[in-house]
Amino acid sequence: MTSPAAVLLARKSARRKNVVKQFVPLIIVVVSLGALFLWLSMLHLDSIEQRTLNPSYIIARVREHIGLTLLASALVALIAIPAGIIAYASKSKAFRGIALALGNIGQATPAVGLIILIAIWWQTGFFTALIAIVAYSILPVLRNTLVGLEQVSEDVRNSARGMGMTRGQVLRQIELPLASPVILAGLRTSLVFAVGVATIATFINAGGLGDMIVNGLKLQRFPVIVAGAVLVASIALLIDWLAGLVQEAVRPRGL
Amino acid sequence: MSGFDIGRLVNFLSQRWETILSLTGQHIAVVAISLVIAMVFGIGLGIVVWNKPVSRSVTVTAAAIAITIPSLALLAILSPILGLGWGPTVVALVFYSLLPIIRNTVVGFREVPRDVLEAARGTGMSATQVIFSTQLPIAWPVILAGVRVAAQLTIGIAAIAAYVAGPGLGQYIFLGLSSLGSVNALNYALVGTVAVVILALLVDGAFVLITRYTTSEGLRV
Amino acid sequence: MSESTPTGILSTIAGAARGVSLELESVRKTYDGQASAAVDDFTMRIEPGELVMLVGPSGCGKTTTMKMINRIIEPTSGSIRLAGEDILSIDPDQLRRHIGYVIQQIGLFPHRTIAQNIATVPKLLGWSKGKIASRIEELMTTVELDPGVFANRYPRQLSGGQQQRAGVARALAADPPVMLMDEPFGATDPITREKLQAEFLRLQAVIGKTIIFVTHDFDEAIRLGDRIAVLSDRSHIEQFDTPANILANPANEYVESFIGLGAALKRLVLIPISRAHYDKEVPGAPSIEVSGSLRDALDLLVLTGASAVNVCDEKGRTVGSLSHATVSGALRAERQDEESV
Repeated sequence: MTSPAAVLLARKSARRKNVVKQFVPLIIVVVSLGALFLWLSMLHLDSIEQRTLNPSYIIARVREHIGLTLLASALVALIAIPAGIIAYASKSKAFRGIALALGNIGQATPAVGLIILIAIWWQTGFFTALIAIVAYSILPVLRNTLVGLEQVSEDVRNSARGMGMTRGQVLRQIELPLASPVILAGLRTSLVFAVGVATIATFINAGGLGDMIVNGLKLQRFPVIVAGAVLVASIALLIDWLAGLVQEAVRPRGL
Repeated sequence: MSGFDIGRLVNFLSQRWETILSLTGQHIAVVAISLVIAMVFGIGLGIVVWNKPVSRSVTVTAAAIAITIPSLALLAILSPILGLGWGPTVVALVFYSLLPIIRNTVVGFREVPRDVLEAARGTGMSATQVIFSTQLPIAWPVILAGVRVAAQLTIGIAAIAAYVAGPGLGQYIFLGLSSLGSVNALNYALVGTVAVVILALLVDGAFVLITRYTTSEGLRV
Repeated sequence: MSESTPTGILSTIAGAARGVSLELESVRKTYDGQASAAVDDFTMRIEPGELVMLVGPSGCGKTTTMKMINRIIEPTSGSIRLAGEDILSIDPDQLRRHIGYVIQQIGLFPHRTIAQNIATVPKLLGWSKGKIASRIEELMTTVELDPGVFANRYPRQLSGGQQQRAGVARALAADPPVMLMDEPFGATDPITREKLQAEFLRLQAVIGKTIIFVTHDFDEAIRLGDRIAVLSDRSHIEQFDTPANILANPANEYVESFIGLGAALKRLVLIPISRAHYDKEVPGAPSIEVSGSLRDALDLLVLTGASAVNVCDEKGRTVGSLSHATVSGALRAERQDEESV
């Protein structure tokens, strides 16, 4: 049997290695943005390229992109996590079955199809993109919440009940903390996914960095395409990286 | 706004079912080709790195970072280099398939029990023989699960690739967008989207069968 | 009368740090859609401070019976009384905070330190921080986990035996008069189990709780129990008596088959060396302390191959010797005593 002290030591060195590993995405982002900037500054940009590749245009697109992503993810968290908790607490097999089945169909639905369908049905623009992302991400996050709560060990739950915790106390003090890594992993996936859907939101005039990419393609300006792609990839990486840091920071110790 | 009319949809389907089938065929083909290529590279890479901590960590981290890149960004960069159509589509689909396949290969190989490995080596098999006779068959269900995830992912991304003239049902979705306001806009987008959903569900079901029939009987649960 | 209100009952229970009486009367559990009851007409009275073992094969309903006492499972009919008060009228959560509960899988909260785990029930009961802290310190010392070392560790960082001790400490935290233990040592290796059992007996001698202890291990039941209930299907009590009486006079074939082979040897565990008639001291023979059991003495005889072992008292003075003949004589005498009762 390995001694607890040895386990602790092994964990510590693993954690140090993780710290180095944790900064890899940040380094990649900084290096690629730097390289992009250098490359663009060496190019002689024509008037069409200048219309896109200027700070105010880029900042406006980045702002739209991040705004859409964060707003959609916040809505997803606010709707899907409580819904998952209710689905779990209700112990209703039907509700659970429907949620999981819808979740599977939702996964199979192409985001681009959903967003374009809603646009044709309703209207184009920011709110359509917002609704599409939220609709698409709710079920996976709900499912992660449900699965996260269900995978809490029956023994732990039994002993909590056996000590006289009320159901609410078991949920708040035991089940939710123990399920939080799974729930947060779901949110993290949905955040990264939202960055991607926010990119194709350009197809329905919802702005964002997709505008840059599509402009570049239409006008056949490679620097514009590259700038848009590198920026949006950087945002995706950064958001994933930040979400990972948060996930690590709030992970209950002892797990 | 173009309203929904079931009669018009039926009419739409009866006029275009041949095109729809051919687009579905293209969709399946581009996903299948990409998955086969991704399996060759992904499983190969997984086998090379699974027991080397540093290379394993580098490979899996790189693939995990790669998969966060929005697909439209990658397709946009690829298309000026590789042109339009199948080229950028296949490369992008392979790119996004690598993470689940590599990761599951690594996990599958690491889960092969140590005593089984030792027993295989003890019979005098070469390292390659051990891989093909023992490790790969035991890790296979896990690897296939990764391919299954990759398949779901690429079926959806292939729809976006239609924007760079990629093959498949995405063409109908974008046709719907570009004919926005016309009578058939909704029908195009609806048929394209629903066909992708059905395809994805059928492929997922097919993977259940494939897993069942390509997994050693002793490993089935 | 305040005693008839739920809070009155709880304060009666909470006031009694040492054991209280526990009565189950015609307790029955039927699950929906099942023809036969899981527990059928179970009646038992347990004296304050008594350690009662429920022994039976898996699926006989012993765990179900136990779980009805803290109402993890609600009885279908019958009554359960703690210190003479009906527990079915109390809020189950409130009730459970006054009944210690230890399960085989321990169920420590993995995201909480050992100290936080032990603090669970005191916190639920609203104890002050200072009182909780000193209680944690006291309990960890009692179960032989050094508070300085283990208080801030997480369950994952403890060995199986240490986790089990932490589980017992957690169950004792609010000093409940009654403890329910569901195969608490079942998952540990034989050596650790024996050690935990010995510690547990020492602990119980001090704390004197009323304990219901479920096990399928008859040897464990003999070793630990004041009384043993041998259960068959649907928690039917085949025999409820002291270990010695059950070994000497099994009520029926079922109990006999449960005791298995070697009833006589098992009985020796229960007879202290001091009950035997000693022979004269044998020079050069191995020696054994008088505090042991005749089983220990027999072990030593068999192991060393000697014809006799010397018995010495606490101060190390030899008071006589034992041989195979005196050991079996003591066993026979014990048996006759019981039969004449």
